[in-house]
Amino acid sequence: MSVETISAAGTVTKRPKKINLGAELARLPLYLWAVVVLIPFWWMIIAAFKTVPELMKNPPTFFPRDPSLDSFYDPSAPAPGGTPNPDAVPGVFQRWPEVAGGFLRFTLNTFGVTVIVTVVSLLIASLAAYMLTKTNAPGRRTVFVVIISSMMIPWQVSLIPNYLLTSDLGMTDSYLGYIVPGLAKSFVVFFLVQYLRSIPDELVHAARVDGASEWRIWWQIVLPLLRPALAAMAIFVALGEWNNFLWPLIIIRDEDLFNLPIALSNLSNAIVSSPGSMGVAMAASMLATLPTVVFFFLFQKHFIKGIALSGIKA
Amino acid sequence: MTLNQTARPANEAPPEPPKRRPGHRLQHYGPAYLMLLPFAVLFAVFLIYPLARSLYYSLTDFNAIKPPVFVGLDNFTELLANDDRFHKAIWNTFKYVIGSVVLTMVLGLLLAVAFKSTSLRDRLLRTVFFLPSVSAGVGIVLVWKWIFMVDSWGLANTVVRFFGGDNRSWLAEPAMSIPILVTMAVWGGAGYAMVLFVAGINAIPDELYEQASIDGASKARQFWHITLPLLRPVLVFVFITSTIGAFQIFEPVYLLWRRSASIVGGPLDSALTIVPYLYDMGFNRFQLGYASAIAWILFAIIFLVTLVQLRVTKTFKEFDR
Repeated sequence: MSVETISAAGTVTKRPKKINLGAELARLPLYLWAVVVLIPFWWMIIAAFKTVPELMKNPPTFFPRDPSLDSFYDPSAPAPGGTPNPDAVPGVFQRWPEVAGGFLRFTLNTFGVTVIVTVVSLLIASLAAYMLTKTNAPGRRTVFVVIISSMMIPWQVSLIPNYLLTSDLGMTDSYLGYIVPGLAKSFVVFFLVQYLRSIPDELVHAARVDGASEWRIWWQIVLPLLRPALAAMAIFVALGEWNNFLWPLIIIRDEDLFNLPIALSNLSNAIVSSPGSMGVAMAASMLATLPTVVFFFLFQKHFIKGIALSGIKA
Repeated sequence: MTLNQTARPANEAPPEPPKRRPGHRLQHYGPAYLMLLPFAVLFAVFLIYPLARSLYYSLTDFNAIKPPVFVGLDNFTELLANDDRFHKAIWNTFKYVIGSVVLTMVLGLLLAVAFKSTSLRDRLLRTVFFLPSVSAGVGIVLVWKWIFMVDSWGLANTVVRFFGGDNRSWLAEPAMSIPILVTMAVWGGAGYAMVLFVAGINAIPDELYEQASIDGASKARQFWHITLPLLRPVLVFVFITSTIGAFQIFEPVYLLWRRSASIVGGPLDSALTIVPYLYDMGFNRFQLGYASAIAWILFAIIFLVTLVQLRVTKTFKEFDR
């Protein structure tokens, strides 16, 4: 079962075939599902551009009649310390006035943490995977078994001790406490080990015979070979980190350190008290979701390959 | 490059070093151990050690202020025998897991069979179906909250009225809680399952279908006797991983029904599942020992369910032969 056969299988469908009316009719509900899938996105986007009165119109409008950017930034909303204007709902970028940068800051927090976690966790996992597959250091099998076994245990089991440990170390409300406990990802090591096993050892041997150090072999030979696997894992880790919620919810109180999911959840509280803020919540949701969608369209091939790979490797 | 040469063991280790001095081994393997070190340290400190501590806490009465007091299995007996809220959480979780996993797999398989080709239409539709799994997160949960708004201008109510029904207060009705969670899960997960199934289906050799067609087998028979059996490993993978994921649901429950920071679980606890209950006990009530016991019961449930799934799917395999 190789990539070649997959593409070969794909070409088979290109054979000229007669249009099968029955099959198309059977597909009809599935076309409907495509519409259902898109509706929440559409509902989010139009809500972000509706005015407050239009948000509460019954029946609702499916195209914003009077598109406005007020949910992002409402010029009539009071500046901090200004006279309050009860009619205006502060936009996304006007919320959290006590945080320098507000929503932009949360976006940068999320982006920074995502990049750091992805890069560091992949680097240390690839080092471990290389050691576990391409050296014969005693004890490596035991270590691998321990790593695999740990994957059986849901991560919530370590949630409470990790919270206590992080607070004992004085790392709550810090980027360190936010980032470091999540860096060792067993499933990445597992996936990379599986992948490395399918790479012939001869390449590594040849380099060793030539006198290359283990570190050099890892950096110059193994990492380039691992690239497809690393791309797949980077996507998983990055998406997970972008949406990370429960851990920062527990560990972060300081608004300066909020990530986007925490900021959004914060907004959802505001909605309960004033439905007019729903447009703001949708604008924020859109801003938080958009990067993942753009990311997907940029790396669509890697996404699909990575997922397929994870299914076949397992 | 082949995709499935996983079973091949890492043979051909580099030549053993001559064993002369005891220190020689460490010197030889030094770089190897050093490479493992960063992962190993983080793994030990933030995973293995917390697991041990969690196991200990689960046997204690611990409120984070006073030191833990050993109480043996009291937390477990209390949870399993007396805690009605926990029983409700388990029951809700099972309803959610069964509903979401079955519907996600069925819909994912239908989508995969219907749109598996490389034609522009199929690729476009697959992108659409996959989009929700990319954007899953708090933002999308808020969108659902907005869709299921109680007010008459909510989208769900508008749709219901369009079909002649009456406005409902979706998030306030206990009977709606699990269906809403299942809807969100299927919306978010079917496309993901579809991608895995498409890869599996397209890896099945065409000769099998051609031969079957020559022998006069109908499309339905081909699906039943070729596609399904050969897709079995992928089906098992999706079945097990999506079940494990579903058991750990937290964010939708926490965000959809939250009115204040300390209320979790929706109307009459109709949306209370295991992890939100753990969160409630641990981080609202600071009963950390009790919450740790919940975490271990969650592990035990997932472990047992996975074993049963492996068993059942294996039985099917033998049945095929």
